Amino acid sequence: MQQPEPKRHVLARRDAIVAGLRGILPESGVIAEALRMKPYETDGLPAYRQMPLAVALPETTEQVAAVLKFLHREGVRVIPRGAGTSLSGGALPLEDAVVVGMMRMNRILEIDYADRCATVQAGVTNIGITNAVQAEGFFYAPDPSSQLACMIGGNVGMNSGGAHCLRYGVTANNLLGLRVVTIEGEIIDIGGHHLDAAGYDWLGLLTGSEGQLVMVTEVIVRILRGPEGARAMLAAFKSNEIAGQCVDSIISSGIIPVALEFMDRPAIHACEAFAHAGYPLDAEALLIIEVEGSVAEQDFLLGRIKEICSQFDPISLKVAESAEQSLAIWKGRKGAFGAVGRISPDYLCMDGTIPTGQLPLVLRRIGEMSDACGLKVANIFHAGDGNLHPLIMFDANDPASFATAEKFGADILRLCVEVGGCLTGEHGVGVEKRDLMPVQFSPDDLAQQRRIKDAFDPGWLLNPSKVFPLQAPHTLAIAA
Amino acid sequence: MSGAAGLAAEAGVIAAVQAAYESGTPVEVCGNASKRGMLRPVQAAARIDTRALTGITLYSPQELVIGAGAGTPMAEIAAAVAGKGQQITSEPPDFSALFGSTAPQTLGGVVATNLSGPRRVAWGATRDHVMGVRAVNGRGELVRSGGRVLKNVTGLDICKLLSGSHGTLAILTEIVLKVLPRPERRGTVVFAGLNPVQGVAALSAALGSPYAVCGAAYLPAEAAAALGFRTSVALARIEDFAVSVDYRTGRLREELAQFGPAEVLDDAASIAAWAAVRDAVPLHGQTGAIWRISVRPSAGPGVAAALAAAFDARWFMDWGGGLLWIAGPATEAAHAAVMAAAGKAGGTWLLFRAPDSLRAAVPVIPEEPAALARITASVKAAFDPKGILNPGRMYAGI
Amino acid sequence: MQTNFTAEQLRDPGIATANKILRTCVHCGMCTATCPTFVLLGDELDSPRGRIYLIKDMLESGRGAPEEVVRHVDRCLSCLSCMTTCPSGVHYMHLVDQAREVIEQTYRRPWHDRAARALLAGLLPYPGRLRLAMIGASAARPLRGAVPGNSMLAKRLRAMLALAPKRLPGPSALSGVRTHKAEGDKRGRVALLAGCAQTVLDPEINDATIRLLTRLGIEVVVAEGAGCCGALAHHMGKHDPAMASARANIAAWLREADGAGLDAIVVNTSGCGTTVKDYGFMFRGEREQAQAERVAGLAMDVSEYLTKIGYAPTREPPGLTVAYHAACSLQHGQKITGEPKALLRKAGFRVVEPAEGHLCCGSAGTYNILQPDIAPRLRERKLDNLHRTKPDLVAAGNIGCITQLSGGGLTVVHSVQLLDWMAGGPVPQGVADVR
Repeated sequence: MQQPEPKRHVLARRDAIVAGLRGILPESGVIAEALRMKPYETDGLPAYRQMPLAVALPETTEQVAAVLKFLHREGVRVIPRGAGTSLSGGALPLEDAVVVGMMRMNRILEIDYADRCATVQAGVTNIGITNAVQAEGFFYAPDPSSQLACMIGGNVGMNSGGAHCLRYGVTANNLLGLRVVTIEGEIIDIGGHHLDAAGYDWLGLLTGSEGQLVMVTEVIVRILRGPEGARAMLAAFKSNEIAGQCVDSIISSGIIPVALEFMDRPAIHACEAFAHAGYPLDAEALLIIEVEGSVAEQDFLLGRIKEICSQFDPISLKVAESAEQSLAIWKGRKGAFGAVGRISPDYLCMDGTIPTGQLPLVLRRIGEMSDACGLKVANIFHAGDGNLHPLIMFDANDPASFATAEKFGADILRLCVEVGGCLTGEHGVGVEKRDLMPVQFSPDDLAQQRRIKDAFDPGWLLNPSKVFPLQAPHTLAIAA
Repeated sequence: MSGAAGLAAEAGVIAAVQAAYESGTPVEVCGNASKRGMLRPVQAAARIDTRALTGITLYSPQELVIGAGAGTPMAEIAAAVAGKGQQITSEPPDFSALFGSTAPQTLGGVVATNLSGPRRVAWGATRDHVMGVRAVNGRGELVRSGGRVLKNVTGLDICKLLSGSHGTLAILTEIVLKVLPRPERRGTVVFAGLNPVQGVAALSAALGSPYAVCGAAYLPAEAAAALGFRTSVALARIEDFAVSVDYRTGRLREELAQFGPAEVLDDAASIAAWAAVRDAVPLHGQTGAIWRISVRPSAGPGVAAALAAAFDARWFMDWGGGLLWIAGPATEAAHAAVMAAAGKAGGTWLLFRAPDSLRAAVPVIPEEPAALARITASVKAAFDPKGILNPGRMYAGI
Repeated sequence: MQTNFTAEQLRDPGIATANKILRTCVHCGMCTATCPTFVLLGDELDSPRGRIYLIKDMLESGRGAPEEVVRHVDRCLSCLSCMTTCPSGVHYMHLVDQAREVIEQTYRRPWHDRAARALLAGLLPYPGRLRLAMIGASAARPLRGAVPGNSMLAKRLRAMLALAPKRLPGPSALSGVRTHKAEGDKRGRVALLAGCAQTVLDPEINDATIRLLTRLGIEVVVAEGAGCCGALAHHMGKHDPAMASARANIAAWLREADGAGLDAIVVNTSGCGTTVKDYGFMFRGEREQAQAERVAGLAMDVSEYLTKIGYAPTREPPGLTVAYHAACSLQHGQKITGEPKALLRKAGFRVVEPAEGHLCCGSAGTYNILQPDIAPRLRERKLDNLHRTKPDLVAAGNIGCITQLSGGGLTVVHSVQLLDWMAGGPVPQGVADVR
């Protein structure tokens, strides 16, 4: 993968830059020894690695502002980092860049149940918010698979989704306010404790901007009261086509399940081997369908869904009888990535979205590509919203295998765009899909996005080499 | 846009903007102009009309998306989705009566103003349901963002940036919205006779219940009269399958018994009541100015009280107390009181309707801190370098 | 995750094992969130993923342990919370144990660090020596505030004195090599790992275990020749003494198993239980591998064994609320989570659990002495969370945790003492006061 040329004058001034950071942060907050920087050379996409110039770990918004102001003055590139769980290489460093990690800003500042919101620092984990409010029956809705570890600042950066976003929306739909720091080191509050600020929708623009525009230090999230209960069911089918038609029928019936997950045969087998959730191994496609409400309401909805599924000649239908059985059903799905990690040394997790009606075609084509390139793939699909996660299995110790996997992944994403979808539904473009952006966007589309980047960060110092293809005039200009 | 007519209409917009760009001529962007009275009056020599950008271009009920030209009347879209048992999730209001317009509002107008109805409190704003846009920027270039799928984080989210930008960054030509099934039934729990603080506390408890309340409004007696109530009311709506509506309204009445006995409005009465809240019917017939103030819900009653003390006000609250609609005299003094009260509560405000003289003389939305104002100017320039699209509509000089 | 070992390196069985472990890691980062040191210090280097990366680098380089790696591996509690979290099944315990061995072999620690480690390794596994040392330490305990300075040495000394009990309990009435007959009909026969430090610090735990088991019809033998499980040395990277301890135990227990027979080897110190259960791996490729595996297969935590044979109280429920503190070695090391709580409930206690139950209390073997900056912060955090449950008592299944959490305003006892009490045994010390 091509990366921009490092800035020679920055590399040459490394010692002075480190000294400057040490003047701002406590001793343990600046890491500059090669060995100790090593774990920061990659994130959740370890196929890509690059040692940074230094690592800074601020503890307050003011420190973030001072660090950015200093780095801006020095012309140093900045790589924002949360928990480092990005699957698109969103936190991949550059040789001449300082990683600014938000892990030390992990405090919950305010919880307001009456107004149903919480103010937290960017380094609080996604599940940490729910953990803090669940005693009162509340939760923070977006639930990416990495929710245990991923941090809310990173969620904002990537506009993370999750299995339940069909009902509850993604990160952008669950925010009220942000405290951000510009590359010039200015602290700005966006939004607040209220809905729909007047003026441009900065909250909407900054969410999912992948660290291109500002650094997020505090987040005001909406918290929701949880339902009385939730229960899942499994429906297994003889083909992807039939399962797809069943999903269409459920949605058309007016039921929006809180989650509607689809697994193909390889995914079923991998998850079952790991979780022993009772997934039927003779099925080609499996749906996990979850509904919420009182027990009677769950029974009503699951009854209707069962009726619909029955019209599609299911191999098996299994409704959880208890919360424990629901958990068991979910355990396989939630552990899917790890489960694939157990059957293959490495995997690439793709993240395209397709119009849901195109699922059978797309899965057939992916199967053909898999046969052609010789790499196995398991498909996990958020069936309600069209977000497809093919997990391509490869061997990182074999360079040819990785190259094939990369190309396979790119071909899948091209296919997603071709059928009317997009490159990424929730993982972000990062460095991984950067060079595919012209597949989805015209030169004018991309130029407009670049001009927005320019407006916030004219020197292109914030998380450079991500999102936008390198051949862009701007990135070429700064590389010079 | 798909279809020859749509593409031709879009090409027309592109050509018009290119010409304006070449000559540096400011243009006013309009659909049916039903909300032309919002924000600041635009001083422009020419107008670009989006009404030719009409027609539904995509509707896939099982994929929960509908796309249409920006000039398509909202009613046409609502009818199309209703035909498949679905609805526009953010419940866009119709403010024709407030603005004295008889023209039907368009999809483009609804998105460009990001106006949302009572369901906003539970299901998000209009901007949350904009899945894709095509738009023409101030250089006359076609810019696309998003698409036709429900989950998409590819690139910067220009869909949201353009939603609520009042045509000042680009002219929307086509929009894809997410839609959801229309629930089988609606029901509304009505707590009568509560004062504003108690009323908002009741709504908070309702919204903080496990019963998925998706509408929460408080109307003081005067405003409630417009809906046919004899005293102040706090309204909590539930929309779902019939069995759930019966069960949940029942549970709410029990769990909120501390706020007094509650009645339940049936489906038809609920539809009527919430349409009235949505379209701000309690303020219809008010002359003078109208403000929308958005605050932390628990701060709503305090702001209302402060303003009722400052001037002769007619008001009500939606979004659980978080949205305060208030009508009062169209004076700079009243406006200053609104700015002060909303600011003190840490909220935001919008001079929603006022005579041209007032809305040209005062900020119609809060001014941004200097650092953000610089970004606003840069982003405006990033779309519209010559400042030709709806100049001054949101901020003087932008 | 990609690794870069040469073919020659991979011929070393240790490296081959490490490579296999490293290859299962997909670098997803889930483990960071549940790691106590990452939560406290907010640095990837003090997270499992960061350490795995450092260890990988150290092993690949083949140049031994540099100071930076030592610092961050030393800060690891070996609480194994990361293993509970890991979706890919990375065996962090075996990896970090191997790293500790490499450190021990290749890194020369500062003199005071070597001295401290030698002292701990030379004291804790030997009850006689420890008892003498503790008598001295208890006497010196009031002086702990007078130890001057902020050096690591001074902090460790203060930590050591703080951990010494105010009053050292007398020696155990029951432990010591002998066989305790079952009461009534004999239903089974087990060996009890009497342990080392526990017999000095709180002999009541073994006594309660023996009373309870014999009352339930189980013959309990404290086998001749069995002693420390080897964990203390093992976690300090001291391979040979660890193996020697384990070897002695294996021989002692197999003598019993092949003699009068054993249904289980009961362990009531979960830190030791984790190690005994891992004997098979420790002896991989060794002559005694099969025997080690057999012993590991017999090892059971006392809560597991009680669940298996069935426990029932004989006293009326005492009306007490017990906060169950899950020892890391029990919940993460041995994956035993439900049994102790179920037993306590069965015994008639109201059982509550603190928030952040997955986070270590900072005891972690000798960690509270070797890491005097971090351990007290974990202790405070744990005590805060425990206090918030408003318990009458705290119960735990590991002497390390009990020592660490004592003196924090809560009465902390071993679960088995409560179970014994409710089944007819004496009121555990300290519990009488809260009633």
